[in-house]
Amino acid sequence: MIRMHRWLLKFKESFRKIFLISRRTCENAFVGCYKTLAGYTCLFLLFTFVGKSAECFAQTFDYQVRSVQFLDALKALESKSGYSIFYDQDIVSEPSTVSVDLKNANLTQILEAVLKDRSLTYNIQGKTIFLYGLPDTDSVQSVPESDPIEVQGEVTGQDGEPLIGVNVWIKESNKGTATDFDGRFELQEVEEDAVLIISYIGYETQEIPLNGKTEISVIMIEDSQTIEEVVVVGYGTKKKSNLIGSISSVSSVEIEKSQQHDLISVLQGRAAGVQVTTSSGAPGGGMTIRVRGASSLNSGNSPLFIVDGIPLESNSMSLLNQDDPGVNPIADINPNDIESIEVLKDAASTAIYGARAANGVVLITTKRGKAGKPIIRLNTFTGFSEVPRKLSVLNATQWREAVLDAYANMDNPDIPHSVVVDSLSPKNNGDVDWQSEMFRKAIQNSINLSVAGGADNFGYAWSASYLDQQGILINTDFKRITSRLNTDLKVTDRLSIGQSIAYSNGARTKVNSGGVGNKSLIRQLLIRPPTYAMYLPDGSYNGYQNGQRNPVGLANLATDTDQSHRMIGSQYIEMELLEGLKIRSNMNLDFISMKEDYFLPSSLDYREGWNEGKVRSSQNLTWGNETYLSYNQVFDNRHNFSAMGGLGFQRWKRTITGLDGSYFASDRIITLNGAGTISNQQVNRASEHALRSYFGRVSYDYEGRYLAEANVRVDGSSRFGKNQRYAFFPSASLGWRFTGESFMADQNFISDGKLRISAGQTGNEAIGDYTAQGQFLVGANYLNNSGAAPTITSNTNLTWESTTEYDVGVDLSFLDHRIEVTADVYLKRTSGLLFNVPVPLTTGFESVTQNVGNIENRGIEGSLVSRNLVGEFQWNTSFNISTNRNRITSLPSELLTNGYIQNGPYHILQVGQPIGIFYGYKFLGVYPTDEDNVNGLTYGANGPVFKGGEPIWYDANNDNIIDENDRVVIGDATSAFWGGMNNEFSYKGFSLGVFFQYVYGNDIYSVLNHERNSIRRYDNLSTDALKRWRKPGDITNFPKPVRDDPRESDSRIQDRWIEDGSYLKIKNVMLSYDLNRNLISRFGLRNLQLYVTATDLLTFTNYTAFDPDVNSFGGIRPGVDYGTYPLNRSFFFGIKAEF
Amino acid sequence: MRNIISLVVLVVIVFSCSLDLEPISEFSASGFYETAEDARAGVYGIYNATQSAFSRNLAFWGEGRADAVDTRHSGDPRMLLNNTLNKDMRSASWTGLYQIISRANYAVKYIPEVLSDEGLGATLMGQARGLRALAYFYAVRIWGDVPLVLEPFEGTDQEIFVRRTDREIVLDQVEKDLMYAARNAPQGGDKTLFTAGAAYALLSHLYMWQHDYEKASSYSDTVMADASYTLVTIDDWNKIFTNGNSRESIFEIGYNEDQTNMLRVLYALGSDSDYFPSETFMNTFEDGDLRQELTYDVTKAFPRMIWKFFGKGFNDEDPAPSTHNIVMLRLADIILLKAEALLHLGDKQGALDLVNRIRNRAALPDLNENTAVALYGDIESAILHERLVELSYEGHRWFDLVRTGKAISTMKPRNGLSDEDNLVWPISGDAINRNPNLVQNEYYK
Repeated sequence: MIRMHRWLLKFKESFRKIFLISRRTCENAFVGCYKTLAGYTCLFLLFTFVGKSAECFAQTFDYQVRSVQFLDALKALESKSGYSIFYDQDIVSEPSTVSVDLKNANLTQILEAVLKDRSLTYNIQGKTIFLYGLPDTDSVQSVPESDPIEVQGEVTGQDGEPLIGVNVWIKESNKGTATDFDGRFELQEVEEDAVLIISYIGYETQEIPLNGKTEISVIMIEDSQTIEEVVVVGYGTKKKSNLIGSISSVSSVEIEKSQQHDLISVLQGRAAGVQVTTSSGAPGGGMTIRVRGASSLNSGNSPLFIVDGIPLESNSMSLLNQDDPGVNPIADINPNDIESIEVLKDAASTAIYGARAANGVVLITTKRGKAGKPIIRLNTFTGFSEVPRKLSVLNATQWREAVLDAYANMDNPDIPHSVVVDSLSPKNNGDVDWQSEMFRKAIQNSINLSVAGGADNFGYAWSASYLDQQGILINTDFKRITSRLNTDLKVTDRLSIGQSIAYSNGARTKVNSGGVGNKSLIRQLLIRPPTYAMYLPDGSYNGYQNGQRNPVGLANLATDTDQSHRMIGSQYIEMELLEGLKIRSNMNLDFISMKEDYFLPSSLDYREGWNEGKVRSSQNLTWGNETYLSYNQVFDNRHNFSAMGGLGFQRWKRTITGLDGSYFASDRIITLNGAGTISNQQVNRASEHALRSYFGRVSYDYEGRYLAEANVRVDGSSRFGKNQRYAFFPSASLGWRFTGESFMADQNFISDGKLRISAGQTGNEAIGDYTAQGQFLVGANYLNNSGAAPTITSNTNLTWESTTEYDVGVDLSFLDHRIEVTADVYLKRTSGLLFNVPVPLTTGFESVTQNVGNIENRGIEGSLVSRNLVGEFQWNTSFNISTNRNRITSLPSELLTNGYIQNGPYHILQVGQPIGIFYGYKFLGVYPTDEDNVNGLTYGANGPVFKGGEPIWYDANNDNIIDENDRVVIGDATSAFWGGMNNEFSYKGFSLGVFFQYVYGNDIYSVLNHERNSIRRYDNLSTDALKRWRKPGDITNFPKPVRDDPRESDSRIQDRWIEDGSYLKIKNVMLSYDLNRNLISRFGLRNLQLYVTATDLLTFTNYTAFDPDVNSFGGIRPGVDYGTYPLNRSFFFGIKAEF
Repeated sequence: MRNIISLVVLVVIVFSCSLDLEPISEFSASGFYETAEDARAGVYGIYNATQSAFSRNLAFWGEGRADAVDTRHSGDPRMLLNNTLNKDMRSASWTGLYQIISRANYAVKYIPEVLSDEGLGATLMGQARGLRALAYFYAVRIWGDVPLVLEPFEGTDQEIFVRRTDREIVLDQVEKDLMYAARNAPQGGDKTLFTAGAAYALLSHLYMWQHDYEKASSYSDTVMADASYTLVTIDDWNKIFTNGNSRESIFEIGYNEDQTNMLRVLYALGSDSDYFPSETFMNTFEDGDLRQELTYDVTKAFPRMIWKFFGKGFNDEDPAPSTHNIVMLRLADIILLKAEALLHLGDKQGALDLVNRIRNRAALPDLNENTAVALYGDIESAILHERLVELSYEGHRWFDLVRTGKAISTMKPRNGLSDEDNLVWPISGDAINRNPNLVQNEYYK
């Protein structure tokens, strides 16, 4: 949320300056009061001095009005002068008209002419003109009834900081003052029983009876309601109170407290309707984010990210280790730079982004400069991370027994390999705890420095940061440098220009933590036998043994790095054409360049002299322009009308360069010049994509009570077939603030209430750049002749996935805004799914991308913010909960075999079921003896009968044959509900935040648990294997291990590897202390905070592998744990200082 | 003010972009065949598909179900040898062959739009149709009836759920394509290209498969009459495979450092390759056959690898892919086919003379009718035995057994093969899933 703070701070700042000067020049100069529209009584103490200093408003202009309403005259003046005019409704309601005709006059001249013959005076503060009635002469002359006393006091904020320029006014009089630079005030000749009214913009007004006291101290409480909260929406902003779309916001305060290094992690558990799962716990690692469920099968399901109007590349640029989702491009953005994140969820909010909006839109707004003295902020922390738990594995003796069992259980037992029996060989005499060798306490350091400030016509915000984060696996780290400069310049009254430019440099040292190959370290460190020695007698790593690689050797000797440079920038020019009519044009650019290096030295391989290197360099550029007109006008003081319309284009270009090499002359030269053999020039490619768009919005409200809005967007994309290139995305929404009605006027339980309803359409164009055109791939070479081959067939009718979404929501505030509740119900239907429909192989193609099938997502989401305790001890709670039911409603019948589509090894897609159901065999236990297989179930039709110690499989069709027809749905990766809860406590300088995050009711298919409970050949096992079946009669759930698993006891897809993925995490705990201001001000500090934070402190779950917050595949194959880089528990100590 | 608006509008128009973006690093499917170079590249694309289609399947299809190999590997090697084929095994997939066919179909359709039917155009068309014939010939021998697709697939409005076509009709098309290739494909030269000679050699195979011995004899004559093909000496016998492009070779699929195949994994991966010589095979050699020690390590009781394609003494634990060409057709093969044809046409002596050419090279004495019968039961068996040892592991054995009707008698003792319907492979489950009009082979239903 962008609060009106910007304006307020500007106001306060200028107020303070004025105050300091005016104290010298005039005493006791005050005037008038006015009532705000909301009904709050405030008093502004203003200084006549300002009027006298009006000479400085030397700029002159023409001003002509003829017989217009006074109000309209003021509006004309506002637009002519560029100043805002503040006034109380009452004082401008006099029905007489105004006529003025002045040429080349300055502001004061015009003001005086306008106000002529009215009992009004004015005061100019910065760019704001305050109008107020002239003091009533009677009350000034009233005579005190008792002996007056002298009162003095101090006014501070909740943080103890003195507040400057706070109005202190004696009730039922027009006598008052304002606090000085130290937050102090003095009033003379006050009656003993007088009541002081203390008011300040942005804070709750307080009434304090004196009761004879002469020294009082007041703590002002921030009042979010008096600040008109503003929410960023597509191509503009909107008052939060007038919002009729469904938007979740996360503020800079929350971002800062989360102590996360990337903004997707910040959203986890903090925004209703948004589900974030971790794809990799590696530093800078990948995250999966879904807004209101998955609505696509084959194209992207990630939301559109827009940073200050710049569409952000959010797909991983990494080309090596694609198994390993270890690279998160969003991590290039420094969360400290972010002012707010808005997640647009319903079609009413997202349709303005048309063809890219079906998965929701995440709008990121960065901090901008505010008028006032420069504020220098420093935030630095240091901390460490560790793996929250290690998994139990067998030791050397236990492992040997298990492997010998596996040999003995073979149909024709082999002679055990020497690695099992020969415990004297230097390669086999180890008893290594691989997890202890690989995991470490990892250090993190970060420093953030920012300077922000500005003047009336100029604002700047500059920041620089450095993050150095070690991973909990040895030899992994992430280093990030970011820097940003946002400036805004008002060139003339009507013309503004500005820019946002950010540079980031990220460098990762990775290990291959994903995938299932023998280079996947997480897997290797659990299944590599403990007996395999770490080192050979000559001190070198025992690199490769019996199909398994040394994970420590890989981590230390193999190279796996990436470096990225990223420039994200936008420039705007904005001009006011007529009163209320503005044109704005944005140029945007996002450029990423990533270089990756990979090298596997020969010392880790079994082949003499064989080593392998790869290099990839990719560049991704997107740039575009959006130009739009916006118009805002209030008619008759009741009809608020605004409109926006514009056009834009966006282009993307991606270039990839790279080569593979092997047989390098030496392990020490890892650049490709050293390679003996070069291959894979096919990776050198480029592709482009373009989008052309027209968009518009109309919104109207009547007194903020009845609200309506409509959006349209037309998008044309180069990705689609020529016949279907343009599409139209409309949306409409209605709102009703029922608390504005007279029947609600007499209660004060509900302070604000609004009903919202919306419907609209959005699209998804996330398919290959040239899929519709088909593709004749070059590089299908034969020997030294270049060849070409058709690889994608064209489909000129290919078009968008189209999503229609309906949303009904309610926003409620109770008990004077102490409790705020927002709830939404939605239904989201996606049709024309872009799907790679498998076609007969006789065509020469695997699949053809077509628009087929429908998906539906429906859900409820709610959030609650409550200020439980206010005052000196404060307690705030925020809570959110979301649920989403996903269902495939139609798939083309010709695609279905046995009524479903196999979706990767573990999932199927089936009509009526959600995306993410697991399909396989049901494991019912283990036959204690041969005789227990009473029905004589066989392995396949002609296979052997299952014996004691082998799994009991569920015979779904009761034919006593266990084959593929016995597979059933065995689990569902969809969670029943998820969300988060945050509690903030503060007392004096202390504050404590505890943030819980939870997910309930989802299943995880743990490939990792399969791996570590399956002996295969020589793999190590978890300690569960100690309970394995050994002899007839053993009652257990752990089947007998058999070498190479001939009856697929372990290897079939089965519910034995499915576990409940529900969890509750103490995601973040932060304790901070703000040092006493009087103390630190001596050192030139405005604020100094010390804090300690813990992230992922505790996880309550039944899941038995590393962490239930895991998602190896993302996409439409959710809920699989391949053994990715585990999440880590971190502790930080930090200092925030403000100068 | 107006100027600024016009400026903004101008900026938008100048930068506003076309949505007709052509691919940069590839061609759009419809815009490829435009020049002679494109036509050439299209044909090389067919060879590219041929490389992958035969990389591993050469042995699975041609040797895996026959008697010359043994294996310790599960998956296809074990299933083929134990005759427990299933529809999900790797070698049941025809993807690779139809990729050749699909690319050839594109070439056959579009080359005439770019080039005339003479010169380069004809040469390219000849190769495209020759390779398509090769793919269909294999497909029929493996699955029996297969869908006959001769048009490229270019859009979803096309009929794609094609049914299986009678194998004789498919073979008629193979014959037509090969006849065209024989007339138009390059004459001699590079053995890694499908030449006219290759077309004649494959025609010999086709007619032998169809038991049309007259035609088989006549086309093998054409090959044998071609002076560019001669038998190499026994000293160079391994070099046919290790060096490639020998004088004996007629057609080989080219591979190099970058475009590799699985020969090593199949035959020579240290002690762990897919296949090693079966006991039957090791015992089948006549004393003094020089080919025996060129084929495998005779010093070992249980040799775990096959030397033939890598040279005598080859010993490597390296599982790196192989770079040697795969020899598909060579003169010795055609000579022995001709011998078989002559035998069926009644010319026993002519047949034995040809067999003896091959035997003599391996330092074996001439066979006459009596010795042949004494050693092998009959002359046909003698010829087949000669093919077994001369062409061992080159992907001929299984098809030879099927063609001569000896598959069941040979393999029954070993794996119980007994049903004629079992001689084909199952159609892969994946193919059936994708096409509701495909019916599984009877034995595998």
